[in-house]
Amino acid sequence: MLPKWVKDIYWPLVFSMLGLILVGVLFVHSASHYSAEDFAAKQLIWALAGFVAFFVVAIIGYRTFLGTSYLLYGIGLALLVWVMVAGDMRLGAQRWIHLGAFALQPSEFAKLATVMVLANFLGSHHSWEKEFRTVVTAAGIVFLPFILIIKQPDLGTSLLFVAMILALLFLWGIRYRYLIATALLGLVGAPFLWTFLKEYQKKRILVFLNPNLDPLGAGYTAVQSRIAVGSGGLFGKGYLAGTQTQLQFVPEHHTDFIFCVIGEEWGFAGSLLLLALYGFLFHAAFQVMEKTTDVKAKLLVGGILAVFFAQVFINIGMSFGLMPITGLTLPLISYGGSSFVATCISLGLILSIYKERSIF
Amino acid sequence: MRHNIFRLLLFSGLAVLGAGLFRTQVLTGRYYRELSEKNRIRLIPLEAPRGQVFDRKGNLAATNRPSYDVVATPEDVTPEVFGRLVKLLHLTEKQIRRNMSASREYPFTPAVIKEDIPLEQVFRMEEHRPELPGVSIQMSSIRYYPYKETASHLIGYIGKINGDEYRRFDRERFGMSSLVGRAGIEKIFDSELRGWRGGRQIEVDARGELIRKLSEKLPEPGKDLTLTVDLELQKKIMELVKGKTASVAIMDLSTEGLLAMASSPAFDPNVFVSPAQGKERMRLLKDPVSPMIDRGVSSTYPPGSVFKVVTALAALELGKITPNTRFFCPGIFRLGAGARPFHCWQKEGHGSLDLYQAIERSCNVYFYNLGSRLSPDDIARYAREMGLGKSLQIETTHLVSGLVPTSDWKKEKLHEKWYQGETLSFAIGQGYLLVSPLQILRLTAMIAKEGKRVEPTLVVRDFDKATEVPQIAIKEENLKIIKRAMLQVVESEYGTGQLARVDLGKMAAKTGTAQSPPEDPHSWMTGFFPYEKPEIAFVVFVEHGGPGGITAAHVVKEMIQIWRQLNAPKVG
Repeated sequence: MLPKWVKDIYWPLVFSMLGLILVGVLFVHSASHYSAEDFAAKQLIWALAGFVAFFVVAIIGYRTFLGTSYLLYGIGLALLVWVMVAGDMRLGAQRWIHLGAFALQPSEFAKLATVMVLANFLGSHHSWEKEFRTVVTAAGIVFLPFILIIKQPDLGTSLLFVAMILALLFLWGIRYRYLIATALLGLVGAPFLWTFLKEYQKKRILVFLNPNLDPLGAGYTAVQSRIAVGSGGLFGKGYLAGTQTQLQFVPEHHTDFIFCVIGEEWGFAGSLLLLALYGFLFHAAFQVMEKTTDVKAKLLVGGILAVFFAQVFINIGMSFGLMPITGLTLPLISYGGSSFVATCISLGLILSIYKERSIF
Repeated sequence: MRHNIFRLLLFSGLAVLGAGLFRTQVLTGRYYRELSEKNRIRLIPLEAPRGQVFDRKGNLAATNRPSYDVVATPEDVTPEVFGRLVKLLHLTEKQIRRNMSASREYPFTPAVIKEDIPLEQVFRMEEHRPELPGVSIQMSSIRYYPYKETASHLIGYIGKINGDEYRRFDRERFGMSSLVGRAGIEKIFDSELRGWRGGRQIEVDARGELIRKLSEKLPEPGKDLTLTVDLELQKKIMELVKGKTASVAIMDLSTEGLLAMASSPAFDPNVFVSPAQGKERMRLLKDPVSPMIDRGVSSTYPPGSVFKVVTALAALELGKITPNTRFFCPGIFRLGAGARPFHCWQKEGHGSLDLYQAIERSCNVYFYNLGSRLSPDDIARYAREMGLGKSLQIETTHLVSGLVPTSDWKKEKLHEKWYQGETLSFAIGQGYLLVSPLQILRLTAMIAKEGKRVEPTLVVRDFDKATEVPQIAIKEENLKIIKRAMLQVVESEYGTGQLARVDLGKMAAKTGTAQSPPEDPHSWMTGFFPYEKPEIAFVVFVEHGGPGGITAAHVVKEMIQIWRQLNAPKVG
């Protein structure tokens, strides 16, 4: 008979996570070993911290988090406001590349807190009662952090909130006509949001539509990262042998553009391996989602999955020109403290849902 | 049900990524591999041409001339190129290597080896191009100031961006080798004059030769500016004050635009933009006569008797005198029996004078009498109302606001109480009081316009004529009295400014001879012309120039004649 704690751990989840982290450390090393600072050692420490957070969250249990989710959400909003006030002073000196280190932290926290609040809120209302009111309230819950983050400005992270609300409303059981109405409302609201964007954000979206607009800036990065990924070919140039990324054509390649290094050095084979690892992780999460009987837990897993997936999709997509360039990390792979730990915490919540699946 | 749809969506998303990667990496992999081999993409930043500056008559004050630069992409340069470049460019190999390894914005962009080479060298370089892989000639533009010293202070100059600025500034407008306005109009209007940078992404072959343009954004040139200044007038004025340390300014009273703002000694701003003149720059910066300082706005001096109009206005406004109030000048004044004597500049005295005569002859004793009836804070209040002690709003750099002392100021700064004797000095524009020549011009213009607030400007802009011009808090009738007194300064047989008299029309002015021991006094004259319907106001200041009624008045006379010549009224 296996001890209870072994049964409590959902191993597919842990293994896929470990696999991704391992790939991450390898490529953080590849991306930074020749520069002044090798981030791989630091990334190992973050990995350790992430695992501790993962298990601590699992032990505490997701119910506690859902119970305090409104408080956490309030703290998250306060942090976002604080960063807006304190962050403004650095605006002149901080370009978007470096913005992540400062701006991402509260938004990562807010992202987690918002998923929890939404799961909790939607989970305690039935979709067949006062549907309209519930939907509007849920939209409001997402709108506040969304607007604060888009003002930061962090277009990428705010898009994750859109993915979150759409997925959760869908899973919650919103009627299709409401979902379509919400999507339409979003389309109508887009020009309004356009005015919220900073000049350079507008430009990046325009450059995505027409790369010729800005050959020195975003257009340059887009072309160079596509060359990096494409030049990897079927099997890549070999680990540590990427020329594009090693020569620093692509900026931020140990954080936002780490996929360029993977694509260039391991080629299509490596890219597929990475996609498979993510697929395996998603599959594990879906298994947990199916095994639990708690509606809130189902929604929580769904929200986390939606955000996780959107982040992977946008990040990998931007490296070969499928998506516009935004400052998003590749979950579990990119170097970076706060986003890495936040991802681990969200996976810890999933583990705890697995652990407490049979409470009823 | 919905869970399954959700799951399907997620996995299809992964499949889309997989398919996209298959296309990029497998189907077009070879193309990208080739591009990356020796990274075949080159980035050529294109600087935007800086806007030109014109004077009011369309003469160019600042423009751009083409410059041929030798550039090299270090990644494409082969070792034997260095020796060839040494011969062709007359540089040492060390210099070439240093220039080539200077930090660049992007890898594989050309570095500048030598700027602004003469045309014959360009031809020689082109002949040798086949032996110089990675090297090419790029055309850029260099700022050029055709009028050289004439308007150096007001136009200013530009200089290379520094590392700190490069990090802070907008990349779309500032590159690593961008030039930034450092002084004058060039600095104040940098954002307008500067355009938006462009760039070109090109694909090159192994030898660095262009295969095709991948994308291009043309730079957007900066906006042009038009100054209110007449450079031909200013040039003649500079000749007038050649060899003197002086500031001369003329203002068009209808637009408040300056027709001239000359400061001497001056410098040639071209020295700051052409790369070969480092030594000349150092000489300018170390020159003991400080040619870089604009005497008109960046230095302050005691105004001397020019200030008497302010004292007179204070006394009139506060009802201490009427224009007909007479005081007797025996050539000396004491605050009380046995007190320290204060002298009039005319030792034998002026006799009995009314206010008009006192200003006309610039009698010190008359104003000592006013000073003894006024508090220093009264005088200071009117001085400030006329704009002294307050910075100008003019579009140039290094503005100073001067000093209008008050009793509180003295207590705070010097920890001493104000003595009544100091009020006497204050009343005749000496003591702590410090003003810049352009502040005096602003003051004179307010008198000429009978109390309309005035701010001299240098750049032509469309301003709203409908808006009500605010009035200063001084009665029009009192300003009219001062105007009449200033007329007498030039036109009366006893006036101190009669040397400035011109036969083109009547002039109103006030002279000043500001003591500055141990050297010669500063020479001042400010006024407006013609008296009946003032068109212009002016100030002439000559540092240590001697009596205002001689040195400055002489310049005024010549200056007005030149101005008339250049702006002859159309004969109907």
